[in-house]
Amino acid sequence: MNLFVFSEYVLMAALAIFAVATIRIVTRRTIAMGLVGLSGFTIAVATFLILLQNLYGIAYCRDIALALLIMDMVGTIAFARVLRGYNSG
Amino acid sequence: MDDIITIIKSAILLISAVFVILAAIGIIRYKDDMKRVLYARIHILGILDVVCMISLLVLGEPLLAGVYFILTPFAAHAIANAHYYGEDKDD
Repeated sequence: MNLFVFSEYVLMAALAIFAVATIRIVTRRTIAMGLVGLSGFTIAVATFLILLQNLYGIAYCRDIALALLIMDMVGTIAFARVLRGYNSG
Repeated sequence: MDDIITIIKSAILLISAVFVILAAIGIIRYKDDMKRVLYARIHILGILDVVCMISLLVLGEPLLAGVYFILTPFAAHAIANAHYYGEDKDD
């Protein structure tokens, strides 16, 4: 195992730990906290998928990561807009 | 020359892993009854965003890093803005 592969595995483990932490944040009381947790979870999973593609050569992981990132951002912004309320400007 | 670039890439990924662990500790460390804890968590999330962007660039995915670089400030601002005008007003 060379150094680059080792560092990729270390980053994967760190991202898995972060994903568990964000799942804890998602279960908090306020809705905005859920959005924060979900946003962190998405970028962690997207980077994890890219690492998976690099390590095992699964090409479609890149497409999943791109779709996940874009849809997460669109969903977060749309939900935040609803949470803010339409009448307050 | 290739060896040096590989070593630099590996070092960047290892440093990124350290920052990701620090962000994971930081994001669950604050108690929920703390005032304005959501903004602190958005700040921690910003660190993770930058770290993941650098990792994506190192892994050879500039499209993903660019898309995320453009979109993530909008999302962070939207969450903070919604919390300030929506939920935070109720407290």
